[in-house]
Amino acid sequence: MNEIDDQLRELMPRMRRFAVWLTRNPSTADDLVQSSLEKALMAWGDKREEGDLRAWLFSILYRQFLDAHRRSRRYGRLLELFTGGKDDHYEPSVERTVVAQSTLAAFERLNTEQRALLLWVSVEGLSYKEIAEILDVPIGTVMSRLSRARQALRQLSDGEITTPSLRILK
Amino acid sequence: MITLPPSERDLHAYVDHQLSDADRLTLETWLAAHPETAEQVQAWQLDAQSLRAALSGGLHRVPNPELDPTYIRQRMRRNTYRHYATAAVLLVAVSIGGLSGWQAREMTLASNVLPMADAVQAYRMFAVKDDMANDWNPGKTSDAQGWLDKNFAQADRLPNLEAAGFKPVSGRLSSTEQGAAAILVYQDNDGRKLTFYIRPPGPLNRPLPAGSRRDGELQADYWSGAGYNYAVVSRADDPASQIARQALRQPI
Repeated sequence: MNEIDDQLRELMPRMRRFAVWLTRNPSTADDLVQSSLEKALMAWGDKREEGDLRAWLFSILYRQFLDAHRRSRRYGRLLELFTGGKDDHYEPSVERTVVAQSTLAAFERLNTEQRALLLWVSVEGLSYKEIAEILDVPIGTVMSRLSRARQALRQLSDGEITTPSLRILK
Repeated sequence: MITLPPSERDLHAYVDHQLSDADRLTLETWLAAHPETAEQVQAWQLDAQSLRAALSGGLHRVPNPELDPTYIRQRMRRNTYRHYATAAVLLVAVSIGGLSGWQAREMTLASNVLPMADAVQAYRMFAVKDDMANDWNPGKTSDAQGWLDKNFAQADRLPNLEAAGFKPVSGRLSSTEQGAAAILVYQDNDGRKLTFYIRPPGPLNRPLPAGSRRDGELQADYWSGAGYNYAVVSRADDPASQIARQALRQPI
């Protein structure tokens, strides 16, 4: 049990970082990590021995996030019926857009799956095969989605560089 | 092995270090001769690098003690206990509800069914008239107990009320919803009567606690034993009957 806990503790910063980039909110992120850890501890026996623990934990975290997201969207729609308010899409603040590094700002604006994909591939260095297992799709699909995510990041990064200068000129 | 010109997938795999050494070398040689594609690949590599750099700060957040596995385990255990406790409380609540409902039902039933009401009715039918048809009388056999035992397995011994002046004079079988019953009429020299009644336990199918109750001018003394309920019904205010009832209290 101590060995398991030590492994989890070691991967904790990576889980928290991934959760922050999924939720884009540090405190929600920790809640997500907490519920994912509970799930992981409960399902520990089902974990495949040879599999990468990090990929397994990411997979749990990602599914937990999607479930929670789906629930809150459903709740949001319900709320909308009463308040007539529009869906609260994430929009980076003007300040953040100007200040943040262009790549990071562009990354923020990608959709959930693209953020997860780029983080897994470029930052965590997971293999395509591991990602295919997390997303439960063929490797070919992972690669085409990755390609789209990269193009999107590229385009957004270019856009971010020009936006502030346009402001200054105005 | 990759083929040249490389597919876009091969280029991504190159950026992500997922090509074999041989493929990587082949691709690098090809890229050297194709600067436009090389530039594209480099842009992706730069994006990946800046992303790694930008996100590296996220690894150094202040630890959150609530995320420690030990704490999470404790929390899970607490939640499990809480679930068990909730389940137990629910179970107790449901059981109390069920039991009190059942109790209320029994009380309602019991209040509707007076103990040994049929014994009192039988008295009124068979003991009041002298010329009722009967299944047993001392003319057939002198042994009332033998007649009773023939019809009821393990029936109690008939009360001996001779000391009070009462002797069995006739017996009659009848039936109840639960099975056969019998009434035995006792009479004394002055023509006063009391009856002994035997029947299977009533609708609630449970033995009666010994007791007595008054029903109009009659009194029923009842008890249970060996699978049957018994009652002795007599006139409540008649002194001779009172003596007989006292004799009943002696062990039968």
